[in-house]
Amino acid sequence: MLLPLIQRAQEDGVRFALTPMAPQPVSQHVVQIEPFRPAPGIPQRQPGPGEQYRFHFDMSQCIGCKCCVVACNEQNGNPPEINWRRVGEIEGGTYPNTRRFHVSMGCNHCVEPSCLIGCPVDAYKKDDATGIVLHSADQCIGCQYCTWNCSYGVPQYNPQRGVVGKCDMCYGRLTDGGEPACVTACPQGAIRVEIVNISQWIQDYGGSANAPGLPAAGDSISTTRITTPERLPGDTKKADFWRVKPESPHWPLIVMTVLTQLSVGALATIWVQQMRGAPAPLGLAAVAALAVAVLALSASILHLGRPIHAYRALKMWRRSWLSREILLFSAFSAMATLYAAALWRNLAIGPLFGVLTSLFGVAGVAASGYIYRVKARPAWNTRHTTAEFFLTGALLGPLFAASVGVLPGGWLAAAAAAASLQVFNQAAKFLRLTAAESFEMKASSRLLSTALKPHLLLRGALAMGGGIVLPLLSTGRLTECLALVVAAAGEILGRYLFFVSVVPKNMAASYLTADKEAA
Amino acid sequence: MNLKRQLGLDILSEQYAFTTDPQLGHTSAQKIPGHWVATTCGYCSVGCGMFVGVKDGRAVSVRGNPHHPVNFGKLCPKGLSEHYTLEAPNRARYPLLCKDGKLVQVDWEEALDTMVRRFRAVQEKYGPDALGVISTGQLVTEEFYTLGKLVQLGFGTRNFDGNTTLCMASAVSGYKRSFGSDGPPGAYEDLQMADVIFLIGANIADNHPILCQHLEANPRKTLIVADPRVTKTAMLADLYLPLKPRSDIALINGLIHILIRAGAIDRGYISRHTSGFEELEESVARYTPDYVSRITGLGEDLILRTASLYGGAKAAFIGWTMGVNHSTQGAETVNAINNLALITGNIGRPGASPFSITGQCNAMGTRESGFTSSLPGYRKFESGEDREALAGLWNIPVARIPTARGLAYPDIIEAAVGKKIRALWIIATNPIVSFPNLDVLKQGLETLEFLVVQDGFHPTPTSEMAHLVLPAAIWGEKEGTYTNSERRVSKVNPAVNPPGQARADFDIFLALAKKLGCYDQLFSGWTGPRDAFEEWRRVSAGRLCDYSGITYELLEQHGGIQWPLPENTQEIRTTRLYSGGHFPTEDGKAKLLCVQWEPFPEQPNPKFPFVLNTGRTVEHWHTRTKTAQVPILERMSPNAWLEMNPHDAASLRLKPHDRVDVRSARGAVHGVELRVTEIVAPGQVFMPFHFVETNANQVTQSAFDPISREPNYKQCAVNVVPSKSRGEKEI
Repeated sequence: MLLPLIQRAQEDGVRFALTPMAPQPVSQHVVQIEPFRPAPGIPQRQPGPGEQYRFHFDMSQCIGCKCCVVACNEQNGNPPEINWRRVGEIEGGTYPNTRRFHVSMGCNHCVEPSCLIGCPVDAYKKDDATGIVLHSADQCIGCQYCTWNCSYGVPQYNPQRGVVGKCDMCYGRLTDGGEPACVTACPQGAIRVEIVNISQWIQDYGGSANAPGLPAAGDSISTTRITTPERLPGDTKKADFWRVKPESPHWPLIVMTVLTQLSVGALATIWVQQMRGAPAPLGLAAVAALAVAVLALSASILHLGRPIHAYRALKMWRRSWLSREILLFSAFSAMATLYAAALWRNLAIGPLFGVLTSLFGVAGVAASGYIYRVKARPAWNTRHTTAEFFLTGALLGPLFAASVGVLPGGWLAAAAAAASLQVFNQAAKFLRLTAAESFEMKASSRLLSTALKPHLLLRGALAMGGGIVLPLLSTGRLTECLALVVAAAGEILGRYLFFVSVVPKNMAASYLTADKEAA
Repeated sequence: MNLKRQLGLDILSEQYAFTTDPQLGHTSAQKIPGHWVATTCGYCSVGCGMFVGVKDGRAVSVRGNPHHPVNFGKLCPKGLSEHYTLEAPNRARYPLLCKDGKLVQVDWEEALDTMVRRFRAVQEKYGPDALGVISTGQLVTEEFYTLGKLVQLGFGTRNFDGNTTLCMASAVSGYKRSFGSDGPPGAYEDLQMADVIFLIGANIADNHPILCQHLEANPRKTLIVADPRVTKTAMLADLYLPLKPRSDIALINGLIHILIRAGAIDRGYISRHTSGFEELEESVARYTPDYVSRITGLGEDLILRTASLYGGAKAAFIGWTMGVNHSTQGAETVNAINNLALITGNIGRPGASPFSITGQCNAMGTRESGFTSSLPGYRKFESGEDREALAGLWNIPVARIPTARGLAYPDIIEAAVGKKIRALWIIATNPIVSFPNLDVLKQGLETLEFLVVQDGFHPTPTSEMAHLVLPAAIWGEKEGTYTNSERRVSKVNPAVNPPGQARADFDIFLALAKKLGCYDQLFSGWTGPRDAFEEWRRVSAGRLCDYSGITYELLEQHGGIQWPLPENTQEIRTTRLYSGGHFPTEDGKAKLLCVQWEPFPEQPNPKFPFVLNTGRTVEHWHTRTKTAQVPILERMSPNAWLEMNPHDAASLRLKPHDRVDVRSARGAVHGVELRVTEIVAPGQVFMPFHFVETNANQVTQSAFDPISREPNYKQCAVNVVPSKSRGEKEI
């Protein structure tokens, strides 16, 4: 029978031995290890003007042991699911002339870093002295826009912290004269740090920055130099070629984009009705549309890892489409408030506010479109994205106006036209993805025609049903409300498909994945 | 999650902070230890030197030892995350005894009293040999030495073997038959000095990745890799030989045939240092390039080129692992390899060696000091002289030393099924995952009257079947020595205390000796592993594996020393066995043994048309008891897979990532993820054996090498069908 305290200590798994037979004072084996010293895997000088550090990766030396991945996680204290350095596999040829190699990649510290260009809060900095692309967790608000912008999937969001993180080439070690952790760990000497002349690299990066298993280096002018093995077969593919899975749906962004577009469409419709001098409760309708916009913008804040710092996102309007979108929708909301007040009070300045509201709204929707039109996500990077967003507004705006009783039934032809165009736009996008050369677009098409096929068909049916069939059936208020609900459901499903069916560019991965596959 | 975190005011800055440490440089602050402990990696037999960083009694980081001659500061991904194994949630913490069908916590007194009482009862009722003991390659040499005496002289059973029989018994038998003794002749340094390196059935890039840097350090080498599967190692090769499964004896005999014909052999060496050449010449006469080409599937030009490269080398190295050993002709394949090395004089010189690359961290320690397939110090059961010498050293009557070895591992299991073995003690191994033909093993274990599992981990699939579980300390918690593949002895030191009531295996053995009443006779005055090591030095003195010059102090100072090192050796340097051409046989000459190729036992057939090959991946260690608990390793390699050629997949209408069942005449593995790939040839499939959830040993067969008793894991006939399950655990 054990004493209660000891019993409890045991159950709690307290780390002590109760009756060690031959007590071994652990401290007896303590050794002094050598101080950290400069190492051979890095240049023996600092980069000069017009130069920067870069990684060199020798694919012919790499044995795919993934030491670099473990060492990186240990160096940076990251949880296992976040890997600032990753290793993927490529394979080509026919047995026995099979060729299989591995790609190890941290950050490529690009000449034109797309993470930095898109960041709305200036969390990124390309270090003047070293060219290293540094990220500040303190500045970051966790909007994750950089994770969409990078063609290599380098910045990774840490949900535990609410911020993004990325490889900084072990800046702190490098500037102290030490090697990055991956360089030290590599048993094959396959990873090194070098100095590159930037202007020369911009001229001739094509041959050594591109490699099988990696997206085109030109998206951001990656600085990593890659030595590829000889005799790589033409059919060399990423090992994860057949593993295409739907992306995260980002529900706050589905809600935000669909509802802002609805709100813009509705307020523009209200303004048109005002111009026509329609006798209707336009003030109430404007307040309702404004409420939708406020709801939408609030929803978007939920998407942030650090909602309290949302205001920072206005900072980089000169550079980031995300900042511009937020700025324009803020202006839209402010103007819509004035417009609603003017309508309520029947002020003469109302139409001016109305036109400004509409203009800011349209500009906001256009900015939304540009946010998604990034090179790293080819299925988004087309005019279909902008068209989809405007057509959502053009479909749901009039239906919303009709539901709140400010649009006569006959005018619903506008919604019907928008619905038809939206269905056409979706079909055209699907055909374009199917016919495309790029792996990512083809893979998107593959998703839409297999796992997501029922969703896609339903999405079209809802647009037709809500935009055309129901308004044609009758013009009663109830039908109009129903039409709005059906059409909105269609647009939300469409936006869900927009988010989940995009296949991002990325480096090759392993054949296996720890992620639970979506069914 | 707190509100400050949800709002984004808190981003866990402290947890993710960095500090600049004088030793480590700029590093995550949570990884910076208070002090470092020097030790040796506890996974494989490469034997990498490393430091464990300890903070507040916990191991928080590891570093490779930059001055260690094996790894020069590098570690593989398992070594780099080894500290996580110490705090694995499945560590065994308390002795557990089965009462009313349930394992309940008991104290050590009750646990060990019960164990001795039950073992004694079984031995009294059914005879001393009704007790079986299956040990491991994971303990320190001091523990192997102690355990051997305890089992054979204390408990008095001969039926004692290790899981090393599943691993390198064929190499042991092959060496003994060719050279008169076990012992890998070469050194890792030879990889840097050879001009031809020939790897047969060895995927070192996955399984011994830290050895690859020795290859890379050799700019002159030509690397030849023979493997039916296009492994990561095959990708390093200058010449890749995609031979058919288990055709290596034919290939080697063919090379010998060509070299004899071409006169590219060392006739001087053959006549001075070998016997049996005429018989060998005759036995390989039929292995013409044409005949060998038909067996191996290799083109004649490829065979001739290999012969000319090997024969033309000034120093040629042959390395092998499980592709050779895991075979019903494993020992004979080793003999064929030795023949090739001997007739070309490629042994005992820098760069020239037939070299078995071992598996576990201290498989070598048990080969030398254990008391299983031979007497400690490479002594022979059959030799009266050897028995006399040991009895003298131990001060016991010679009659107490058995005159023949007991049952080997697979025969112990068979004896359990046949109720000849009634009680079994399993130490630091997990046969439910690692033993072939699982159903037979389970039947054997279920038939036992008393099963003791002593392990650092619980539950394991094996410990779940035990009547008594003894919690043991593991690497990082105890002291002793490991000996690696190149005979290099390295020190292992404790960095932290074992969890709960877990104790070092050494302590458990001594406590058992006291309960048995043999402590004073066998281990008089012993308190720690150093006592065992000192006796082992005396016992090994003058033997091939001479440890007498090695001390703990020298090991701490040098970070790893090769045996043989006789006492009073002045200079410590790389050693090779047989450099004088003298072998420990009756006539002092190595034996050239005639070996004939035979097809592997279970050929593909219409019902089971595929040849299943099994193996490993770099992220996992053996039965995944440890590595499944290291989150980053488990994440990088989360499940098993089955490799199949696209031709076969197309004819079965299977797609990449489909879930498939693998069936043999013995059983089935359900829900394995299919990898459609050109890594394997049409007609062959491959899967890793690490995963209990999809256990390859559900389908492997009970076919064992008649000489070494090693299982034929590498080939069996299976079919593959689409799966209805998603690979859930079936046990």
